[in-house]
Amino acid sequence: MNKPGRPRFIVARWTRALPLLALLGALLSAGAARAQEYVKVENVPREQLPAPQFVAAAYGFIMIAILVYVFVVARRLARTRGDIAELRTQLERATAPGERR
Amino acid sequence: MPTVGRGFAVAVMTAIAGFLVVPLLIVSAPVEPVMGVVQKIFYFHVPCAIMMFLSTFVAAAGSLSYLFKGAERGDRLAHAAGELGVLFGACVLVTGPLWGRKAWGVWWQWDARLTSSLLLFLILNGYLLARRYGGPAGKKLAAALSLFAAVDVPLVYKSVDIWRTVHPQTTVVPSLDPAMRPAFWASFALITLVWGILLTLRLRLEDARANVEELQLMVDDLAHDA
Repeated sequence: MNKPGRPRFIVARWTRALPLLALLGALLSAGAARAQEYVKVENVPREQLPAPQFVAAAYGFIMIAILVYVFVVARRLARTRGDIAELRTQLERATAPGERR
Repeated sequence: MPTVGRGFAVAVMTAIAGFLVVPLLIVSAPVEPVMGVVQKIFYFHVPCAIMMFLSTFVAAAGSLSYLFKGAERGDRLAHAAGELGVLFGACVLVTGPLWGRKAWGVWWQWDARLTSSLLLFLILNGYLLARRYGGPAGKKLAAALSLFAAVDVPLVYKSVDIWRTVHPQTTVVPSLDPAMRPAFWASFALITLVWGILLTLRLRLEDARANVEELQLMVDDLAHDA
């Protein structure tokens, strides 16, 4: 391999590739420019969002949120009442005659 | 152990009936000409927003009595109301974008009303987090946060009048078409009733927890004396 000739070879290849790269860049930028233009198109179907489903989803969310909250609070309340009952039993046992020293 | 009162049972039955009747009133209400059917989200979005505001004010009032008078009952009321503020805030922030997606074409818009509502929701969440993870000073820190939340409420309400926004203005409810009023006020009454039931239930939980703490102290004292 002719080592001193290699850099010149690489430069020559890049010199040939540069116009191609410039062309590619120009094409891409033209594409981007085209995307910025507004062109009138006929008979395109309008985006149709089902309004009753949105209303039902909103109402459903509120109902579910409230039901879940009631369930969570009721569970916490039941657990706390269980703790109260247990502590009262402990107190009664501790204060029962013969138990206290 | 406290039992369910007669008034509370009647309120719960009324609320269940309301959840069946109010949708019928909303369906039979006239369709708004500009936004169409999706405008019907208004009938429960607005009452939820009002309940978020009411919860914030109740939490602030309870916090004030705790901060300045040391009232533990006020702190418990504030805690219960703060949690309800988060619940109804979540309802507002979910139903609003559902409405906005259809009416404006976007789920979210960083305008004054939406942003200040989100801020209020975040402050209320901060209140609950401060209580839970704030350590010994958590209660007082949370109480101060609830006062900031209360200051945000008038800002949220008047934001649509002060700044240019895509959100409907505060004149919508007073100028409501007479044919739309029964659905709105029935929905408002239902959501208010549900709020009252939830606050009562949540307050019972707070009272029960306070009872547990008292009993635990008594048990510990007895164990210490023995």
